[in-house]
Amino acid sequence: MTSFFTGKVSFAIKLVVVLLVSAVLLTLTQSAFAQKEYFIAGFLAITIFLLILTYLSKISIPLKFFLPGILLLVAFVLSPILYTVTMSTYNYKTGNIVSQGEAIEQVKNRGFEPDANGTSFDIKIGRYEMQEAILVSDTINKAYFISTVNNRIPLNAADLTINEYSVAESAPDFETLSDADMAKADELYSLKRFKYQDEYFIALEGFEVGVVSRQVLEFDEAKDQFKNVITGDIYVNNGRGNYAIAGSPDKYLEPGWRAPIWFENYTKLFTDKRLRGPLVSVFIWTVTFATLSVLTTFALGLILALALNKPIRGRRFYRSILILPYAMPSIMSILIWGGMFNTEFGAINNLLGTQIAWFQSALFAKFAIILVNLWLGFPYFYLISSGALQAIPSELLEAAAIDGANPRQIFRRITMPLLLQILSPLLIASFAFNFNNFNLIYLLTGGGPRAELDGELAGATDILISFTYKIAFGNSIQDLGLASAISLVIFVLVASISMYGLRKSKVLESFE
Amino acid sequence: MNLWLRNNAWRHALVIFVCLFSLFPLYLVVISSFNSTGSLRLDSFIPREFSFANYKMLFTDPTIPYMTWVKNSLIIAGATAVLSVTIGSASAFAFSRLYFKGRKTGIQLLLLVQMFPAILAISAVYVIMERVYTFAPSIGLGTQAGLLLIYLGGAMGVNIWLLKGFVDSIPKELDEAAKIDGASAVQTYWLIFMPLAAPVLAVVALLSFIGTFNEFILARLFLVDMEARTVAVGFQQFIGGPYSDNWGPFVAGSIIASVPIVAIFLSLQKYIVNGLTAGSVKG
Repeated sequence: MTSFFTGKVSFAIKLVVVLLVSAVLLTLTQSAFAQKEYFIAGFLAITIFLLILTYLSKISIPLKFFLPGILLLVAFVLSPILYTVTMSTYNYKTGNIVSQGEAIEQVKNRGFEPDANGTSFDIKIGRYEMQEAILVSDTINKAYFISTVNNRIPLNAADLTINEYSVAESAPDFETLSDADMAKADELYSLKRFKYQDEYFIALEGFEVGVVSRQVLEFDEAKDQFKNVITGDIYVNNGRGNYAIAGSPDKYLEPGWRAPIWFENYTKLFTDKRLRGPLVSVFIWTVTFATLSVLTTFALGLILALALNKPIRGRRFYRSILILPYAMPSIMSILIWGGMFNTEFGAINNLLGTQIAWFQSALFAKFAIILVNLWLGFPYFYLISSGALQAIPSELLEAAAIDGANPRQIFRRITMPLLLQILSPLLIASFAFNFNNFNLIYLLTGGGPRAELDGELAGATDILISFTYKIAFGNSIQDLGLASAISLVIFVLVASISMYGLRKSKVLESFE
Repeated sequence: MNLWLRNNAWRHALVIFVCLFSLFPLYLVVISSFNSTGSLRLDSFIPREFSFANYKMLFTDPTIPYMTWVKNSLIIAGATAVLSVTIGSASAFAFSRLYFKGRKTGIQLLLLVQMFPAILAISAVYVIMERVYTFAPSIGLGTQAGLLLIYLGGAMGVNIWLLKGFVDSIPKELDEAAKIDGASAVQTYWLIFMPLAAPVLAVVALLSFIGTFNEFILARLFLVDMEARTVAVGFQQFIGGPYSDNWGPFVAGSIIASVPIVAIFLSLQKYIVNGLTAGSVKG
């Protein structure tokens, strides 16, 4: 058996596996490079290098154990974190998503207007001399021509097939598109500008109509600004990801680009009134929710553990029932509770004989959340509290009893302090978990009811993380920069709390 | 009798009350699943009908690709559990048993990274995978493979941390003896450590499986296609409508999906409880 690890066969297997993986990664690297994703390509290249170096040489034994784990961590945890940090310093939201180059390109592409008369023609799209082309019918003047990006070829009406509306159906050397090509035509044709005359060109409006247009917005690369050649308006780079008219910041060109604005996303949290109000309320509720969750689940769990800390009849049976809520997949439980709180069709109102619209009132919704979380969470604290109770040396309790302490005194002076000492890291971990308990809030109330606070984004039961999610992926404006900034603030808060908890549990000391 | 009352009656009363609290939703789900009207209404505590209509609908209604969802969940959560434990245990072994430069910094960094809730970086993950999609459509945004990779990365921090706690508790003498007998680190890992740690690895894999099974938000962002969804995403969208009358098939489906997990959980509860505390409380 041991020879398997040193033999030639195993080396050959290893060689084949490493080379296969490297080959796959190499293909990915090439395509990433071709798409100009240099960071990703670079990361993949380093990965290949490390793989070969680690597994085909004897440079480091620990690295052989580490490498796959580290690579996954770096790729899918560490780089998203760093990317979040970067995004948080950018104006990165709906309307400011692309790079500056792409934004300029798009502004140019959109920056044209129809001519003064609004001239338009019936057209057929197709190909002429291997190029994308349109067959244009000027039905008023009975003039026909083929237009490509660079050329305009006049046609003789006699050579054409013309239908009853005077529109040319086909022309010699002009091949109309097949159905299969039509499906892809949008991409190929919609941005093309087909030659007309002077500064005017024909832009497509759908596949049947061409509009005579001219470029209105012109980009001046040296001055980094756009000029409207008709009105004379100048749009300058406002340094925040848009070309805007100087002095009237609301008049800017779409789209903008993602531009660095440094700490503005962070300062906005404190200075922007529309954001600060909801944020403060959401923060207060987040802390309240996390605290109440820990307190209620711990209290119920502890009471149960105390009640069952004696070998009473049916203890094992009780135990199995009590941990059922914990064994159920939580996602199912939350959805089920959501149904139970339904006003008309839910069991809770049935049971109480009431008609409460649970999720329409902030107070009831909050109560429902705490109750559901109690149901989900108490078995965990029951389990660990019973474990902790058994870990308390019975000599201590006996000694106290001999010294004349009554049971209540023993509990308050000995059991409880010891329990808290053992469990405090888990209580803190539970607080940190509930601080970001997205699933519960999102699936139960969706953060609602709305309109209690700022109706736009935050609802009355939104916690920071669900609020952030709405900012990043909401329906109206998706502000990835702001969401990243809030995410990092949450991380700093939660990490400090967790670090404090860990320091208390002395985990850190074990490797110092 | 009097003494019994004082000492034990309150215990039974309290525990029975909480048992009812914990059983109520589950009981409701079971009776609703056999009720053909399809709501979570409680008309009576005693079931009035015993119909398999909801279960039948679950497997025959073409608008509810339930079996596909279950299959997706099993594949994604199963692969995440197996791969993350395999990869994670190697790293945990190295952190616990091998000595090298930067070990302490490595552990502290790991501690910090595993505290970062994956959900906070969700916009970054989204944008990155959107970019990956442009050159590798098979692992980018919208694919199960991409989601699996993200789960693997996300599970790594916590799993290495948990597993390290377990490895630390395995007596060092065993692998020192192996070392004296001339075994290399790789041999020690496969021949000594793996057989010893197998039950523990199974528990961490199970926790990882349950965690992934319950994961909702990344799965929802990623899996847009009806056919690609997991049970969690599928059901959430399915009962998401405001006047939804889909509760019947939903409760039936959640029972089928939950029973195996609950059964495994109950049978392994002793190990799981140890596992839950090992990461944070060290003996």
